[in-house]
Amino acid sequence: MNNKKQSAISRREFARRAAMVSAAASLAPGNLLNARPLASRPQAQQPPNVPRLSPESQAEVDSRIQTILAQYGGRLSDAQKTDIRRLATEAQPPLDRLRAYPTENGDGPALYLKPLMERERKPAPAPPPPKPAAAPKNS
Amino acid sequence: MPGEEIFYLSVTELAKRIESKKLSPVELTQMYLDRSQKFGPRLNAYARLTPEIALEQAKAAEKEIHRGHYRGPLHGIPYAAKDLLSVKGLPTTWGAKPYANQVFGYDATVIEHLNRVGAVMIGKAAMIELAGGMGYRFASASLQGEAKNPWDTKCWTCGSSSGSGAIVAAGLAAFAIGTETWGSIVCPSAFCGVSGLRPTYGRVSRYGAMALAPSMDKIGPMARSAEDCARIFAAIAGHDPKDRGTVPIDKGAFTYSPSVELHTRPLKIGWLVNAWKSLEPGVAKPVEAAHRTLKKYSASVKDATLPEGPWEDAGGIVVAVEGAASFRSLIRSGRVSELADPLGQIAGYVNEQYSAADYLQALKVREILQKKMDALFEMFDVLVTASQPVAATPLELNLETGLVFPDPLGGIGNLCGLPALSVPCGFTEKNLPVGLQFLARAGDDIAVIQAARAFQQHTDWHKRHPKIH
Repeated sequence: MNNKKQSAISRREFARRAAMVSAAASLAPGNLLNARPLASRPQAQQPPNVPRLSPESQAEVDSRIQTILAQYGGRLSDAQKTDIRRLATEAQPPLDRLRAYPTENGDGPALYLKPLMERERKPAPAPPPPKPAAAPKNS
Repeated sequence: MPGEEIFYLSVTELAKRIESKKLSPVELTQMYLDRSQKFGPRLNAYARLTPEIALEQAKAAEKEIHRGHYRGPLHGIPYAAKDLLSVKGLPTTWGAKPYANQVFGYDATVIEHLNRVGAVMIGKAAMIELAGGMGYRFASASLQGEAKNPWDTKCWTCGSSSGSGAIVAAGLAAFAIGTETWGSIVCPSAFCGVSGLRPTYGRVSRYGAMALAPSMDKIGPMARSAEDCARIFAAIAGHDPKDRGTVPIDKGAFTYSPSVELHTRPLKIGWLVNAWKSLEPGVAKPVEAAHRTLKKYSASVKDATLPEGPWEDAGGIVVAVEGAASFRSLIRSGRVSELADPLGQIAGYVNEQYSAADYLQALKVREILQKKMDALFEMFDVLVTASQPVAATPLELNLETGLVFPDPLGGIGNLCGLPALSVPCGFTEKNLPVGLQFLARAGDDIAVIQAARAFQQHTDWHKRHPKIH
């Protein structure tokens, strides 16, 4: 198969996103050969390669994590908090790429709103028969 | 007792026997029920069997057919519905513990359509919890546990239509209904060696189906052939005022007849050269052979290239945001902690944080992409590539660290609502199925059916089935 340039997406990022959206679940050949049954399921995993973010992006990630922990921290274990930090960090590069993609003010979002029409809720009444034209009063 | 082959007959063949009264719908249903009771639990394929409903529907079908009222090719045919489709009075669990006792008082539109054509529902198919909407790290992210692949029970079926894939592959029903937001029909079809149609977005009503990402959710058939998919699609397609995402009446309905389809336009086929970064060697070989087959029987096969851009990023954000909205009460109540999967327990908290501006940027990018794909479909009627770059994966695999490939076509196809059909095209050296995927312009579902059916007329991979013990 052709190996043309792919979007700059890290393998780990894709794995995270694919799992999140229930996309095709698969693994690379090397991992297939090395895959072994897990003796026990890992809880929070420390990512081997955390994405390198700009200071602005890192600040945004930190802020997002703080929001999550302020709102939900009480119900999360330490392992889950660590996992959330990882997920929030890994979510940032796709956001940065998306924001960098040039769009114009006039580009419409592919978002469709179909106003609820009365005719869709019940059949439209038959139009009344046309009245005979009245003779103009002032002609 | 008929031989095992009957369980693997196509809908088309079963229908011929039923219509000519050589096969009793009641006997067929009982045989599938017996087989499902025996093998279903071994594969974790079903959320539940519904023998009472099945036998009642089968008896009614048989009675009608004997009276000369034959409703068509699905009359008396047993099927399974993914357990996110509501069936009046039955638990509809969405594969997730927090909804284990959920019961709706109405049928999903798809179930109504299948009732209308006389199909026989023998059970609800197991699935990944919330169709993967909160993320999952392991195949075991389901109320029923990990769905086992009938070709190798140490391997997974893929998700989220995991039970649907296992049921069709193991011959536990003649067909199943699956759903896809991103990959959930195409991947299980590929891993399980069955034919699966992901229709154009809006062609099949989602009323009564669990919402994950309403701007991307689709419902479609998984069956033994492209022709079977077409017949089932014809029964379930159409505008529905109860699902505001469905396309207008004049664009929704689908009619199918093999004779009409075989005399439609000659297809311009694009062989995608940048859909996957690489293919696992066991997958590459059958896919290359499929490429040769296509070129042998069609003079119009040319290389095609997908546009480059942040399509997967946009698709991922749309699913994340819409999923977080769909399951907001589950996230905010903390009941996500009841989900089976460790990733599913927390990912919703992160997905809630995307901004409206970022979501709308993703939708703008979606519209740009739609135009780019529309331009590509000026040159090609159908795009073709491997359904997946790998074959079925081990049950225990950590999907988050083991899933390691970009999937631009999954992002593009689902973000734009394009129809796709995955059919078997061979096997790896470990005898695991490999899938070939056909993709077309939105609304041109007939093109993927026509192309896949032509491929299946020159190959017999779709007629192979696993040995079930």
